[in-house]
Amino acid sequence: MHIIKLNAIDSTNTYLRQLSASKAIEDFTVVVAKHQTKGRGQMGTQWNVQDAKNLTMSVFKDITGVDVERNFYISIAVSLAVFEALKSLNVEKLSIKWPNDILSENKKIAGILIENVIKQNRLQASIIGIGINVNQTEFENLPKASSLQLMSGRFFELDEIMITVLQKLEYFFELLQNNSFSTLKAQYEEHLFRKNKPSTFKDMEGDMFSGYIKGVSNSGNLQVLLEDEIIKEFDLKEITLLY
Amino acid sequence: MDIKEIQNLIKFVAKSGASEVKLEMDDIKITIKTGSDDKGEATTIVQQIPMAQTPVAQPAAVAAAEVVASTPVAPAASNEDSKYVTIKSPIIGTFYRKPSPDKPVFVEVGSTIKEGDVLCVIEAMKLFNEIESEISGKIVKVLVDDASPVEFDQPLFLVDPS
Repeated sequence: MHIIKLNAIDSTNTYLRQLSASKAIEDFTVVVAKHQTKGRGQMGTQWNVQDAKNLTMSVFKDITGVDVERNFYISIAVSLAVFEALKSLNVEKLSIKWPNDILSENKKIAGILIENVIKQNRLQASIIGIGINVNQTEFENLPKASSLQLMSGRFFELDEIMITVLQKLEYFFELLQNNSFSTLKAQYEEHLFRKNKPSTFKDMEGDMFSGYIKGVSNSGNLQVLLEDEIIKEFDLKEITLLY
Repeated sequence: MDIKEIQNLIKFVAKSGASEVKLEMDDIKITIKTGSDDKGEATTIVQQIPMAQTPVAQPAAVAAAEVVASTPVAPAASNEDSKYVTIKSPIIGTFYRKPSPDKPVFVEVGSTIKEGDVLCVIEAMKLFNEIESEISGKIVKVLVDDASPVEFDQPLFLVDPS
Protein backbone atom coordinates (compact mmCIF):
# COMPACT_ATOMS: atom_id res chain seq x y z
CA MET A 1 0.00 0.00 0.00
CA HIS A 2 1.33 3.35 -1.04
CA ILE A 3 0.41 6.36 1.12
CA ILE A 4 1.04 9.90 -0.09
CA LYS A 5 0.82 12.57 2.59
CA LEU A 6 0.36 16.15 1.51
CA ASN A 7 0.38 19.31 3.55
CA ALA A 8 -2.17 21.14 1.48
CA ILE A 9 -4.21 20.37 -1.60
CA ASP A 10 -7.47 21.66 -3.04
CA SER A 11 -8.96 18.21 -3.50
CA THR A 12 -7.38 14.83 -2.76
CA ASN A 13 -9.71 13.20 -5.30
CA THR A 14 -8.61 15.52 -8.11
CA TYR A 15 -4.96 15.04 -7.18
CA LEU A 16 -5.28 11.25 -7.22
CA ARG A 17 -7.27 11.24 -10.46
CA GLN A 18 -4.60 13.29 -12.19
CA LEU A 19 -1.87 11.09 -10.75
CA SER A 20 -3.62 7.95 -11.99
CA ALA A 21 -4.03 9.47 -15.45
CA SER A 22 -0.35 10.40 -15.66
CA LYS A 23 1.06 7.00 -14.72
CA ALA A 24 0.12 3.51 -13.61
CA ILE A 25 -0.39 3.55 -9.87
CA GLU A 26 -0.63 0.79 -7.32
CA ASP A 27 -3.98 -0.51 -6.17
CA PHE A 28 -4.98 1.13 -2.86
CA THR A 29 -2.73 4.12 -3.38
CA VAL A 30 -3.84 6.64 -0.76
CA VAL A 31 -3.64 10.43 -0.67
CA VAL A 32 -4.19 12.23 2.62
CA ALA A 33 -4.03 15.96 3.14
CA LYS A 34 -3.45 17.87 6.35
CA HIS A 35 -5.17 20.90 4.94
CA GLN A 36 -7.62 21.17 2.12
CA THR A 37 -7.05 24.63 0.71
CA LYS A 38 -10.77 24.93 0.09
CA GLY A 39 -11.02 25.34 3.84
CA ARG A 40 -9.36 28.74 3.61
CA GLY A 41 -11.33 31.88 4.22
CA GLN A 42 -12.07 34.51 1.64
CA MET A 43 -9.64 37.22 0.55
CA GLY A 44 -6.68 35.12 1.61
CA THR A 45 -7.52 34.99 5.28
CA GLN A 46 -6.43 31.74 6.77
CA TRP A 47 -8.90 29.99 8.99
CA ASN A 48 -7.26 26.70 9.59
CA VAL A 49 -4.16 27.76 11.53
CA GLN A 50 -4.05 24.64 13.62
CA ASP A 51 -3.20 21.22 12.34
CA ALA A 52 -6.07 19.62 10.50
CA LYS A 53 -8.72 18.23 12.76
CA ASN A 54 -10.50 16.13 10.18
CA LEU A 55 -9.49 13.26 7.99
CA THR A 56 -9.67 13.80 4.24
CA MET A 57 -8.37 10.93 2.19
CA SER A 58 -8.71 9.50 -1.30
CA VAL A 59 -8.05 5.93 -2.30
CA PHE A 60 -7.30 4.58 -5.76
CA LYS A 61 -8.98 1.23 -6.34
CA ASP A 62 -8.66 -0.96 -9.40
CA ILE A 63 -12.19 -2.19 -10.13
CA THR A 64 -11.70 -3.91 -13.45
CA GLY A 65 -13.86 -7.02 -13.34
CA VAL A 66 -16.70 -5.33 -11.47
CA ASP A 67 -19.73 -5.29 -13.76
CA VAL A 68 -20.91 -1.80 -14.62
CA GLU A 69 -24.41 -2.93 -13.61
CA ARG A 70 -23.04 -3.46 -10.12
CA ASN A 71 -21.93 0.15 -9.87
CA PHE A 72 -23.88 0.80 -6.70
CA TYR A 73 -22.11 -2.03 -4.91
CA ILE A 74 -18.97 0.13 -4.89
CA SER A 75 -20.94 2.63 -2.86
CA ILE A 76 -22.16 -0.16 -0.60
CA ALA A 77 -18.65 -1.53 -0.03
CA VAL A 78 -17.22 1.90 0.81
CA SER A 79 -20.12 2.82 3.10
CA LEU A 80 -19.71 -0.45 4.99
CA ALA A 81 -15.94 0.05 5.26
CA VAL A 82 -16.31 3.49 6.83
CA PHE A 83 -19.15 2.26 9.04
CA GLU A 84 -17.21 -0.75 10.32
CA ALA A 85 -14.01 1.27 10.80
CA LEU A 86 -15.82 3.78 13.01
CA LYS A 87 -17.61 1.01 14.84
CA SER A 88 -14.30 -0.67 15.67
CA LEU A 89 -13.15 2.69 17.07
CA ASN A 90 -16.13 2.56 19.43
CA VAL A 91 -18.16 5.33 17.84
CA GLU A 92 -21.74 4.71 18.90
CA LYS A 93 -25.17 4.76 17.30
CA LEU A 94 -23.82 4.53 13.77
CA SER A 95 -25.95 4.18 10.69
CA ILE A 96 -25.70 4.57 6.93
CA LYS A 97 -27.98 7.21 5.49
CA TRP A 98 -28.91 6.26 1.95
CA PRO A 99 -27.03 6.34 -0.28
CA ASN A 100 -23.70 6.89 1.47
CA ASP A 101 -23.56 9.24 4.42
CA ILE A 102 -22.40 7.93 7.77
CA LEU A 103 -24.33 9.17 10.77
CA SER A 104 -23.90 8.91 14.49
CA GLU A 105 -27.28 9.25 16.09
CA ASN A 106 -28.81 11.62 13.54
CA LYS A 107 -25.75 13.73 12.75
CA LYS A 108 -23.53 13.33 9.74
CA ILE A 109 -19.94 12.50 10.71
CA ALA A 110 -18.58 11.16 7.44
CA GLY A 111 -19.17 11.66 3.74
CA ILE A 112 -18.12 9.73 0.68
CA LEU A 113 -17.49 10.87 -2.87
CA ILE A 114 -16.82 8.16 -5.43
CA GLU A 115 -15.58 8.89 -8.94
CA ASN A 116 -15.34 5.99 -11.34
CA VAL A 117 -13.53 5.77 -14.61
CA ILE A 118 -15.43 3.94 -17.35
CA LYS A 119 -13.85 2.96 -20.62
CA GLN A 120 -15.26 0.74 -23.34
CA ASN A 121 -18.36 0.31 -21.17
CA ARG A 122 -16.28 -1.24 -18.43
CA LEU A 123 -15.38 0.03 -15.00
CA GLN A 124 -11.67 0.65 -14.75
CA ALA A 125 -10.85 2.43 -11.53
CA SER A 126 -12.51 4.13 -8.65
CA ILE A 127 -11.27 7.21 -6.84
CA ILE A 128 -12.81 6.97 -3.41
CA GLY A 129 -12.90 10.18 -1.42
CA ILE A 130 -13.68 9.86 2.27
CA GLY A 131 -14.10 12.76 4.65
CA ILE A 132 -14.51 12.13 8.36
CA ASN A 133 -15.17 14.84 10.91
CA VAL A 134 -12.80 13.80 13.67
CA ASN A 135 -11.67 16.36 16.23
CA GLN A 136 -13.58 19.41 15.07
CA THR A 137 -15.91 20.64 17.80
CA GLU A 138 -17.59 23.68 16.26
CA PHE A 139 -20.10 23.35 13.44
CA GLU A 140 -21.57 26.76 13.04
CA ASN A 141 -24.79 26.80 10.99
CA LEU A 142 -24.52 23.07 10.39
CA PRO A 143 -27.04 21.60 12.80
CA LYS A 144 -26.90 18.16 11.19
CA ALA A 145 -23.11 17.80 11.32
CA SER A 146 -20.99 16.45 14.11
CA SER A 147 -17.63 14.80 14.75
CA LEU A 148 -16.21 11.71 16.38
CA GLN A 149 -14.94 13.80 19.27
CA LEU A 150 -18.29 15.49 19.84
CA MET A 151 -20.16 12.22 19.73
CA SER A 152 -17.77 10.22 21.90
CA GLY A 153 -16.05 12.85 24.03
CA ARG A 154 -12.49 11.83 23.27
CA PHE A 155 -9.61 12.77 20.99
CA PHE A 156 -8.80 10.58 17.96
CA GLU A 157 -5.54 10.06 16.08
CA LEU A 158 -6.12 10.67 12.36
CA ASP A 159 -3.60 8.02 11.30
CA GLU A 160 -5.28 5.36 13.37
CA ILE A 161 -8.62 6.10 11.70
CA MET A 162 -7.03 6.13 8.25
CA ILE A 163 -5.37 2.73 8.73
CA THR A 164 -8.57 1.25 10.12
CA VAL A 165 -10.60 2.56 7.16
CA LEU A 166 -8.06 1.13 4.71
CA GLN A 167 -8.17 -2.30 6.33
CA LYS A 168 -11.96 -2.32 6.11
CA LEU A 169 -11.86 -1.13 2.49
CA GLU A 170 -9.61 -4.06 1.62
CA TYR A 171 -12.00 -6.43 3.33
CA PHE A 172 -15.16 -5.13 1.65
CA PHE A 173 -13.59 -4.81 -1.80
CA GLU A 174 -12.54 -8.42 -1.53
CA LEU A 175 -16.17 -9.32 -0.92
CA LEU A 176 -17.14 -7.21 -3.93
CA GLN A 177 -14.55 -8.79 -6.19
CA ASN A 178 -15.65 -12.24 -5.06
CA ASN A 179 -19.19 -11.30 -6.17
CA SER A 180 -20.58 -11.55 -2.63
CA PHE A 181 -23.39 -9.20 -3.57
CA SER A 182 -26.08 -10.57 -1.28
CA THR A 183 -23.76 -10.43 1.76
CA LEU A 184 -22.87 -6.82 0.96
CA LYS A 185 -26.47 -5.77 0.40
CA ALA A 186 -27.74 -7.53 3.52
CA GLN A 187 -25.12 -5.81 5.69
CA TYR A 188 -25.76 -2.44 4.10
CA GLU A 189 -29.51 -2.72 4.59
CA GLU A 190 -29.02 -3.85 8.18
CA HIS A 191 -27.32 -0.52 8.98
CA LEU A 192 -29.63 1.76 7.01
CA PHE A 193 -30.69 4.90 8.84
CA ARG A 194 -34.38 4.79 9.83
CA LYS A 195 -34.91 1.33 8.42
CA ASN A 196 -38.34 -0.04 9.37
CA LYS A 197 -39.19 3.13 11.24
CA PRO A 198 -42.07 5.40 10.29
CA SER A 199 -40.45 8.22 8.35
CA THR A 200 -41.44 11.29 6.41
CA PHE A 201 -40.24 11.99 2.90
CA LYS A 202 -40.52 14.78 0.43
CA ASP A 203 -41.06 14.11 -3.27
CA MET A 204 -39.87 16.14 -6.26
CA GLU A 205 -42.89 18.46 -6.11
CA GLY A 206 -42.18 19.19 -2.45
CA ASP A 207 -45.15 17.16 -1.23
CA MET A 208 -44.67 15.15 1.93
CA PHE A 209 -45.60 11.53 2.46
CA SER A 210 -44.78 8.85 4.97
CA GLY A 211 -43.44 5.35 4.69
CA TYR A 212 -40.94 2.81 5.96
CA ILE A 213 -37.47 2.30 4.48
CA LYS A 214 -37.17 -1.39 3.64
CA GLY A 215 -33.98 -1.66 1.63
CA VAL A 216 -32.31 -0.85 -1.66
CA SER A 217 -32.52 -2.30 -5.16
CA ASN A 218 -29.46 -3.59 -7.02
CA SER A 219 -29.17 -0.31 -8.84
CA GLY A 220 -29.33 1.61 -5.57
CA ASN A 221 -32.93 2.83 -5.54
CA LEU A 222 -34.47 3.23 -2.11
CA GLN A 223 -37.35 0.84 -1.40
CA VAL A 224 -40.04 2.43 0.72
CA LEU A 225 -43.14 0.73 2.07
CA LEU A 226 -46.14 2.97 1.51
CA GLU A 227 -49.82 2.64 2.36
CA ASP A 228 -51.64 -0.52 1.28
CA GLU A 229 -48.48 -2.61 1.60
CA ILE A 230 -47.03 -1.17 -1.58
CA ILE A 231 -43.26 -1.03 -1.85
CA LYS A 232 -42.12 1.69 -4.20
CA GLU A 233 -38.62 2.35 -5.46
CA PHE A 234 -37.20 5.85 -5.53
CA ASP A 235 -34.27 7.35 -7.35
CA LEU A 236 -32.03 9.77 -5.47
CA LYS A 237 -33.65 12.77 -7.14
CA GLU A 238 -37.19 11.63 -6.45
CA ILE A 239 -37.08 11.52 -2.69
CA THR A 240 -35.66 13.33 0.33
CA LEU A 241 -35.78 11.86 3.79
CA LEU A 242 -36.79 14.37 6.44
CA TYR A 243 -35.18 13.84 9.83
CA MET B 1 -25.81 -5.11 -50.92
CA ASP B 2 -23.75 -2.03 -51.61
CA ILE B 3 -20.51 -0.83 -50.07
CA LYS B 4 -22.36 1.47 -47.67
CA GLU B 5 -24.38 -1.39 -46.25
CA ILE B 6 -21.28 -3.51 -45.85
CA GLN B 7 -19.54 -0.68 -44.04
CA ASN B 8 -22.45 -0.30 -41.67
CA LEU B 9 -22.50 -4.00 -41.07
CA ILE B 10 -18.80 -4.01 -40.21
CA LYS B 11 -19.28 -1.17 -37.77
CA PHE B 12 -22.21 -2.90 -36.17
CA VAL B 13 -20.35 -6.16 -35.72
CA ALA B 14 -17.28 -4.37 -34.36
CA LYS B 15 -19.44 -2.59 -31.81
CA SER B 16 -21.52 -5.60 -30.86
CA GLY B 17 -18.51 -7.36 -29.37
CA ALA B 18 -19.13 -10.50 -31.46
CA SER B 19 -15.90 -12.08 -32.62
CA GLU B 20 -17.24 -13.51 -35.86
CA VAL B 21 -20.34 -13.08 -38.00
CA LYS B 22 -21.15 -14.97 -41.17
CA LEU B 23 -23.88 -13.93 -43.53
CA GLU B 24 -25.12 -15.54 -46.70
CA MET B 25 -27.46 -13.76 -49.05
CA ASP B 26 -28.60 -14.28 -52.61
CA ASP B 27 -25.48 -13.16 -54.33
CA ILE B 28 -23.06 -12.57 -51.54
CA LYS B 29 -21.40 -14.26 -48.62
CA ILE B 30 -19.73 -12.21 -45.92
CA THR B 31 -17.56 -13.21 -43.00
CA ILE B 32 -16.62 -10.52 -40.52
CA LYS B 33 -14.02 -11.31 -37.92
CA THR B 34 -13.01 -8.94 -35.17
CA GLY B 35 -9.77 -9.29 -33.23
CA SER B 36 -10.28 -10.38 -29.62
CA ASP B 37 -8.84 -7.34 -27.84
CA ASP B 38 -8.47 -4.77 -30.54
CA LYS B 39 -10.08 -1.36 -30.66
CA GLY B 40 -12.92 -2.10 -32.94
CA GLU B 41 -11.02 -2.95 -36.08
CA ALA B 42 -12.68 -5.59 -38.09
CA THR B 43 -11.42 -7.96 -40.71
CA THR B 44 -13.88 -8.58 -43.47
CA ILE B 45 -13.93 -11.26 -46.07
CA VAL B 46 -16.41 -10.64 -48.82
CA GLN B 47 -16.93 -13.51 -51.09
CA GLN B 48 -18.92 -13.32 -54.29
CA ILE B 49 -21.03 -16.38 -54.78
CA PRO B 50 -21.29 -17.60 -58.37
CA MET B 51 -24.54 -16.47 -59.99
CA ALA B 52 -25.53 -20.02 -60.83
CA GLN B 53 -25.85 -21.00 -57.23
CA THR B 54 -29.34 -21.59 -55.89
CA PRO B 55 -30.56 -18.81 -53.65
CA VAL B 56 -29.90 -19.52 -49.99
CA ALA B 57 -32.62 -20.04 -47.46
CA GLN B 58 -34.84 -17.08 -46.65
CA PRO B 59 -34.13 -16.76 -42.91
CA ALA B 60 -30.53 -15.73 -43.55
CA ALA B 61 -31.62 -12.89 -45.77
CA VAL B 62 -34.18 -11.70 -43.23
CA ALA B 63 -31.56 -11.75 -40.52
CA ALA B 64 -29.24 -9.70 -42.65
CA ALA B 65 -31.91 -7.14 -43.36
CA GLU B 66 -32.58 -6.76 -39.66
CA VAL B 67 -28.93 -6.33 -38.89
CA VAL B 68 -28.61 -3.53 -41.37
CA ALA B 69 -31.80 -1.88 -40.22
CA SER B 70 -30.71 -1.76 -36.59
CA THR B 71 -27.26 -0.39 -37.31
CA PRO B 72 -26.68 2.02 -34.42
CA VAL B 73 -24.70 4.56 -36.38
CA ALA B 74 -26.68 7.34 -38.05
CA PRO B 75 -30.31 6.74 -37.24
CA ALA B 76 -31.26 9.28 -39.90
CA ALA B 77 -29.27 7.18 -42.36
CA SER B 78 -27.83 10.27 -43.95
CA ASN B 79 -24.72 9.50 -45.89
CA GLU B 80 -22.73 12.08 -43.96
CA ASP B 81 -23.45 10.63 -40.54
CA SER B 82 -22.67 7.04 -41.37
CA LYS B 83 -18.94 7.56 -41.20
CA TYR B 84 -19.25 8.82 -37.64
CA VAL B 85 -19.03 6.78 -34.48
CA THR B 86 -21.71 7.14 -31.83
CA ILE B 87 -20.59 7.15 -28.22
CA LYS B 88 -23.32 5.82 -25.99
CA SER B 89 -24.08 5.88 -22.31
CA PRO B 90 -22.94 2.73 -20.49
CA ILE B 91 -25.31 3.41 -17.59
CA ILE B 92 -28.52 5.16 -16.52
CA GLY B 93 -27.89 8.47 -14.84
CA THR B 94 -27.51 12.20 -15.22
CA PHE B 95 -25.25 13.48 -17.97
CA TYR B 96 -22.79 16.23 -17.10
CA ARG B 97 -20.53 17.99 -19.57
CA LYS B 98 -18.39 19.66 -16.92
CA PRO B 99 -16.37 18.29 -14.00
CA SER B 100 -18.07 20.93 -11.78
CA PRO B 101 -20.40 23.86 -12.47
CA ASP B 102 -17.61 26.47 -12.45
CA LYS B 103 -15.33 24.50 -14.80
CA PRO B 104 -15.27 24.45 -18.60
CA VAL B 105 -16.89 21.59 -20.53
CA PHE B 106 -14.82 18.46 -21.14
CA VAL B 107 -15.45 18.58 -24.90
CA GLU B 108 -17.47 20.59 -27.37
CA VAL B 109 -18.26 20.37 -31.07
CA GLY B 110 -14.98 20.56 -32.94
CA SER B 111 -12.87 19.33 -30.01
CA THR B 112 -10.14 16.92 -30.98
CA ILE B 113 -10.16 13.92 -28.70
CA LYS B 114 -7.85 10.99 -28.24
CA GLU B 115 -8.36 7.62 -26.68
CA GLY B 116 -8.60 7.90 -22.90
CA ASP B 117 -9.81 11.51 -22.83
CA VAL B 118 -12.71 12.16 -20.49
CA LEU B 119 -15.83 13.10 -22.49
CA CYS B 120 -18.42 13.54 -19.76
CA VAL B 121 -19.51 12.48 -16.30
CA ILE B 122 -22.62 10.39 -15.71
CA GLU B 123 -23.84 10.55 -12.16
CA ALA B 124 -25.92 7.76 -10.71
CA MET B 125 -26.75 7.49 -7.03
CA LYS B 126 -23.97 9.90 -6.13
CA LEU B 127 -21.45 7.81 -8.03
CA PHE B 128 -19.67 10.05 -10.49
CA ASN B 129 -18.66 8.07 -13.53
CA GLU B 130 -16.15 9.62 -15.87
CA ILE B 131 -16.64 8.30 -19.39
CA GLU B 132 -13.40 7.93 -21.30
CA SER B 133 -13.18 7.85 -25.06
CA GLU B 134 -12.31 4.60 -26.78
CA ILE B 135 -11.37 6.31 -29.99
CA SER B 136 -9.51 9.29 -31.33
CA GLY B 137 -11.18 11.84 -33.54
CA LYS B 138 -13.23 14.97 -33.56
CA ILE B 139 -16.53 15.70 -31.79
CA VAL B 140 -19.17 16.33 -34.47
CA LYS B 141 -22.27 16.52 -32.29
CA VAL B 142 -23.19 16.60 -28.63
CA LEU B 143 -26.53 14.82 -28.52
CA VAL B 144 -27.59 15.44 -24.91
CA ASP B 145 -27.96 18.65 -22.92
CA ASP B 146 -25.93 19.24 -19.80
CA ALA B 147 -27.51 17.95 -16.58
CA SER B 148 -30.23 15.92 -18.30
CA PRO B 149 -31.11 12.30 -17.59
CA VAL B 150 -29.78 9.59 -19.91
CA GLU B 151 -30.81 6.02 -20.46
CA PHE B 152 -28.60 3.00 -20.90
CA ASP B 153 -27.24 2.89 -24.47
CA GLN B 154 -28.50 6.39 -25.28
CA PRO B 155 -26.27 8.11 -27.87
CA LEU B 156 -24.25 10.92 -26.28
CA PHE B 157 -21.74 12.07 -28.87
CA LEU B 158 -21.09 11.73 -32.56
CA VAL B 159 -17.39 11.43 -33.33
CA ASP B 160 -15.57 11.65 -36.63
CA PRO B 161 -12.88 9.02 -36.12
CA SER B 162 -9.36 9.84 -37.21
